[in-house]
Amino acid sequence: MKQQREIEKEISESIPLVGDLEVLSSLEKEYTEDPIYLLKVKDLSSKYKYIRRTRPDGNCFFRAFSYAYLEHLLTDKAEYDKFYEIAKNSKDTLVALGFPEFTVEDFYETFIEVVQRVGEQAGSSSAGLDEVRGELHYKFNKEGYSDYIVVYLRLVTSGQLRMQHNFYQNFIEGSRTVTEFCRQEVEPMYKESDHIHIIALSNALNVGVRVKYMDRGEGSQVIAHDFPEGARPLVHLLYRPGHYDILYA
Amino acid sequence: MAAMSPSERRLQKELMALMKEPPAGVTVDGDQASQNLTLWTIHMEGVPGTLYEGEKFVLQFKFTNKYPFDSPEVTFVGNNIPVHPHVYSNGHICLSILTDDWSPALSVQSVCLSIVSMLSSCKEKKRPPDNSFYVKTCSKNPKKTKWWYHGMCSFIFFTINNFSKSITKRN
Repeated sequence: MKQQREIEKEISESIPLVGDLEVLSSLEKEYTEDPIYLLKVKDLSSKYKYIRRTRPDGNCFFRAFSYAYLEHLLTDKAEYDKFYEIAKNSKDTLVALGFPEFTVEDFYETFIEVVQRVGEQAGSSSAGLDEVRGELHYKFNKEGYSDYIVVYLRLVTSGQLRMQHNFYQNFIEGSRTVTEFCRQEVEPMYKESDHIHIIALSNALNVGVRVKYMDRGEGSQVIAHDFPEGARPLVHLLYRPGHYDILYA
Repeated sequence: MAAMSPSERRLQKELMALMKEPPAGVTVDGDQASQNLTLWTIHMEGVPGTLYEGEKFVLQFKFTNKYPFDSPEVTFVGNNIPVHPHVYSNGHICLSILTDDWSPALSVQSVCLSIVSMLSSCKEKKRPPDNSFYVKTCSKNPKKTKWWYHGMCSFIFFTINNFSKSITKRN
């Protein structure tokens, strides 16, 4: 078992944290013997053209979400301005909730540095955008940036859950409190994200996320869920059991 | 001097804070830690009014260059290992934030506070029920133990393909 885990870890580490853009049909290669999934890939390709894969290390939702959203902000200055206010105030919210400023600030500073760099070019000409896009891709593949962003978003998610614990308690199975759930399933790295993480983060940052769920379920269509419900989706993710990648129209 | 890596910067920052404002009953050996940022010795006193009042303990913290993404390796060392249901006689501690529930937002200080609180809430001084077997069979590094955190400490040990893995289960 341990050996198997080591092998899985090795495979995972050979996959880039965030990959290059690939045509959606690259998914078909994974499912040549699988008619159910092939039908679903076909359905997916009626709405999306490209996919960007992320490393399956348990942090994929946070990494996919932040990459896709920052990439979107490059072309949406109004959304950037709105988001920047939320991002800037987020650290004070966490500290007010009792998170230690001492450790939170390291993660916040890296996060806001990456956000501000996007802001410098948001809505500008294509030459400038390409440069920042390249930089974003480089940073998301460098653990010193990428993992700091993941930690920070985990803390923001935890903060949202703790702030509205009465509401989120309903989503937690078993006898764990929201605080226990946050300590065990949200704040530690490499813990996989579920609906509750997505609902909390999309609400905390006020960002619409559409998740396309591709599984072995009946029918040939890939079901979409929007978070928060009714929001305009700016981030599109593909979910396959245990993993999130980014989708592009 | 070469530029500090992110983990060294973070450890340096934590060390300064811990020397300046240590939690009650906790002292870090600042000289030793400054010499080698990846190995700290921390002295801890039993809290007055608890079963450990008057006792002195020594904790060792080892950090990798992936700290704070990797949790620190924390063990009790020296000749007074606290007798506690979650502390093995070799100094290994069964505490979830040291493995599964570690988060980079935690710190040496928060680990110390958790250990103080673990000791202080103890109702009866005794070793984990599986102590002698664990101590004989475990790895030197407690992070290599697959701990299960559910109530009392006890563990199952098995070997697969020359890889040994111990599972400590608290029922």
